[in-house]
Amino acid sequence: MKHDPVVIILVAMVVTIMVVFGFHMVRRAPGQAALAGANLTGQPAPEFTLQSLDGKTVRLADFRGKAVLLNFWATWCEPCKIEMPWFVELQKQYGPEGLQVVGIAMDDASQEDIAKFASNMGVNYPILIGKEAVGDAYGGVQFLPATFYIGRDGKVVDKVFGLKGRGEIEEDIKKALAEGQAVQAQR
Amino acid sequence: MHSVAKLAACLLLLAPLASAQDSPGRRTPSVTLAPVPITAITRGKPGTVELQFRVSSGFHINSNSPKSEFLIPTSLKLNAPTDIVVGKVTYPAGVDRSFPFAPDEKISVYGGDFALAVVIRPLAHVVPGKYALHGQLKYQACDNAACYPPKQLPVDFEVKVEKAKVVVHKKNPAQSPHAHN
Repeated sequence: MKHDPVVIILVAMVVTIMVVFGFHMVRRAPGQAALAGANLTGQPAPEFTLQSLDGKTVRLADFRGKAVLLNFWATWCEPCKIEMPWFVELQKQYGPEGLQVVGIAMDDASQEDIAKFASNMGVNYPILIGKEAVGDAYGGVQFLPATFYIGRDGKVVDKVFGLKGRGEIEEDIKKALAEGQAVQAQR
Repeated sequence: MHSVAKLAACLLLLAPLASAQDSPGRRTPSVTLAPVPITAITRGKPGTVELQFRVSSGFHINSNSPKSEFLIPTSLKLNAPTDIVVGKVTYPAGVDRSFPFAPDEKISVYGGDFALAVVIRPLAHVVPGKYALHGQLKYQACDNAACYPPKQLPVDFEVKVEKAKVVVHKKNPAQSPHAHN
């Protein structure tokens, strides 16, 4: 049986497209179905008022003019534990440029347990006690981690569901820092 | 050649479907309980009921003894009718696995099929018959990149309480004090 080279090339192309498309979906799509209809990118980040672990009332608006990395996490979430040391380092590295990492604990654990966990992780950024309504405002955070990158202008630059590599997180931080630079310049 | 080209076109059309099925987060984790056959238990004596669970493919749940105090262990809680005592629940040992999100760390998990054994002991005066037990399996699932909030799976099954079988020992008439020659 003779094989037409055109056909072989066509089949190879189809298989390659399938593999690349599948790989892309696996890397980018966790939670996108869960958050269908909640495309916040380019939209103003939903405002919230939450209590921090040290008892302060914190509003998202308190960070206006800064790039905010808003990370929904929980003590029972192993992938969240992997990201947290990265966030600590990135806060140190990009804090002087205007980054503020903010953690929102979506946990049933006691505040003491959350504080103990955060302390064990050496967290150097505010941890807020999450409420379901805040998760809903961000599209229904149905699994963790879920991270929103908010530009200096208060608009969502990107959202990432599930664990990503440190490099990807850093790229998103740079995008958030760059977004709304004009806003900062006006201040 | 025509048919090969058609096949290629079909594959191209199916590509998004195939990738969607493999994407984490596109499916939610589930744990299911296989139908539990009614176990006959003699009243006054302990009996064991085996509960077979299945974790959906691509997910894992923490074992009953996770390696971190912050992880939520899989646990079974049962409510029994009065005079039926729920005894020890035996959990299988978890499988120590590492995952892409923490390649250097091992987590004790259940994946695929696993079974719990529950000891049930009806008290000696329980009226024979069928009794329903209800409870929940609490678990918290993750895939390779994300974790899902804790869930509770309803666990319902029945046991049949029976009377103790009376063993009749036939006496040897020759040994009976009432035997007369």
